[in-house]
Amino acid sequence: MKIQHFWRRQETVVLLILFALVAVIGVVNPSFLKTSSLLGIVNSSLILILVGIGEMFVVLTKGIDVSLGAIVGLSAVALGTALNLGVSLPVAIIITLITGGVAGMFNGLGVTVFRVPPIIMTLGTLGVYRGLMLIITGGSWIETIPQNIKSMAGWSVLGVSAFAWFTLVMTIVTAYLLARVKQSRYLYAVGDNEEGAYLVGIPVKFTLFTAYTLAGFFSGIAAVIFVAQIGFVPMQTGSGLELKAIAAVVLGGVNLVGGVGTPVSALVGGLFLTTIDSILVFLKVPAFWNNAIAGGILLLVVFIDFRIRQAINARQRHARMMINRTSRMKSVAKEG
Amino acid sequence: MQRKILNHLKSWEATLIILLVVEIFFFGLIEPSFLNINNLLFSTSDFAYIILAALPMTLVIITAGIDISVASTMGLTSIVLGALWQSDVNIFVAMIIALIVGVIGGAFNGLLVAKTDIQPLVITLGTLFLYSGLATGVAGSLGAAGYEGISGLPMSFAEIANGSIGSVPYPLLIVVGFAIILAILLHYTGFGRSLFLIGVNPDAAKYSGISVDKVLIAAYALSGLGAAIAGALLTSYFTSARSDLGNDALLPTITAVVLGGANILGGSGTIFGTLLAGFVLGFLKQGLLAIGVTNNVSQVVIGAVLIIVVALKIGISRFNQHRLNRRALDNRIAIE
Repeated sequence: MKIQHFWRRQETVVLLILFALVAVIGVVNPSFLKTSSLLGIVNSSLILILVGIGEMFVVLTKGIDVSLGAIVGLSAVALGTALNLGVSLPVAIIITLITGGVAGMFNGLGVTVFRVPPIIMTLGTLGVYRGLMLIITGGSWIETIPQNIKSMAGWSVLGVSAFAWFTLVMTIVTAYLLARVKQSRYLYAVGDNEEGAYLVGIPVKFTLFTAYTLAGFFSGIAAVIFVAQIGFVPMQTGSGLELKAIAAVVLGGVNLVGGVGTPVSALVGGLFLTTIDSILVFLKVPAFWNNAIAGGILLLVVFIDFRIRQAINARQRHARMMINRTSRMKSVAKEG
Repeated sequence: MQRKILNHLKSWEATLIILLVVEIFFFGLIEPSFLNINNLLFSTSDFAYIILAALPMTLVIITAGIDISVASTMGLTSIVLGALWQSDVNIFVAMIIALIVGVIGGAFNGLLVAKTDIQPLVITLGTLFLYSGLATGVAGSLGAAGYEGISGLPMSFAEIANGSIGSVPYPLLIVVGFAIILAILLHYTGFGRSLFLIGVNPDAAKYSGISVDKVLIAAYALSGLGAAIAGALLTSYFTSARSDLGNDALLPTITAVVLGGANILGGSGTIFGTLLAGFVLGFLKQGLLAIGVTNNVSQVVIGAVLIIVVALKIGISRFNQHRLNRRALDNRIAIE
């Protein structure tokens, strides 16, 4: 994390574009910059950010998890059902997190022990978890949820919701752990070169297993926030969220080839996508164009990133060629 | 080549055929009316769209790519078709234009995959959002965003999905015809062989003079065409054009390709396998419905089938490899 790298990082660039975007909209219409509307954007981005961090763990290991949206749905159903059965709030939340974690573990088990390719394993469990969710609830919404969980969404510190603080702290803590703890670097090593990681003695399977478990666990956290914010559990909870989360982390600079990315990518990407949605609403662009614009921006960002990499490569190659040429000329001159 | 195809038939496709027969008789035992041949033939119309998308997806997966945008291409095709018809274009001309839109959408995916080093998953994730956004955008602008969509399409058009020759419904004929064309393309032409080579080793493909870019663009364009035909068929089936048609097609489509024996990492796969797997999955769903299992449960079953089949396949091939290694080792010891 050297300072000269800081400006080159995709997170930073996307964050700057985000600020510029908000500033431009703010100039055109100052009411967009009202604290309440900005905080509204932050609050509605939390779920995407948390699922994004979960997705990031898996993507770091060169995997992919398309079941996270279904895990959010299943965990939300677990929370709603537990609360309606009269379980106390803290216990219900623990049950939710365990549900997410166990669902993630199951993915990890398939990928490590049975060696099913990640996309197939998680596509399969996407169907399984979403089906389970519908079976548990009999296909109907959980509408009556005790008030105490909804009041959690109202908690705030310094005017910012407790959930937003929590998400920020989670991002910083995971970013710190990923940067500083040896075992967490295993995720990067496995993603960069699995064989190599195995040969230097890194427990590859355990690392993969942990990544999928963490992804499920973070989806469980997202489910708690979802239920608290919305106050009921519709059947489509989390549907399509995994793809949005992948889009968010890729936008934030996580590379699907593995080994590249930080939780900050998820934070920035999640905020960016949510802000775009809000800006469109604010500019009174009909909501049905949202996906088109989100997709267009994702393509544009990865394409620009590709062109920049291409340009840097070309420059480096050119520089190498020049060095070779001058050294050759020197040696020719010496011999002459 | 002939022998290779025969060998392949003996193994995986044969297993699929047995699976299909066992499955149909299993459901027939529980619910005898399921075995009615007309019933069986006509129930293929319910899942023909999955096979239509899965067949050309096989080509894409063989190149070590993936095309997840097919789910939204179906909706886009449908809404374009409806929108053109609404502005007084002849319905069949509208259909052809809609198919062309699908091909262009696919070719755009292929262009980005070929010309950049961005992973196909990221590119088609971007276009998944882009195309679905365009579809809902067009639908919304026309006031057709609701469940109804653009309805009242002419009966002559509805005939495509609902008519039949004798007791063979048109959708089944379209599926078989498309499969034959693609099978010839994949297994009996240079184009097909270069798809395999690109999947195994893109660099080798490039250096052996194959125009990798053109081949990739063609493969993705075919995938777009398959999804577009599927979209048009769904539109005809429901006699209404909706932007969300085919939204649930992604999981079963990829499941069909992988179950059909294609390797998600590229380099192997057959059209016949995908076709058979499509029928296995389709009849599985129909059969479960026939014996009174709800859609929710069948989602779980299909997800589980995907995971178990792939895990078994990988397990068996690893076991065989192990056995061969052991035998080779024993032989060497015996010789020494």
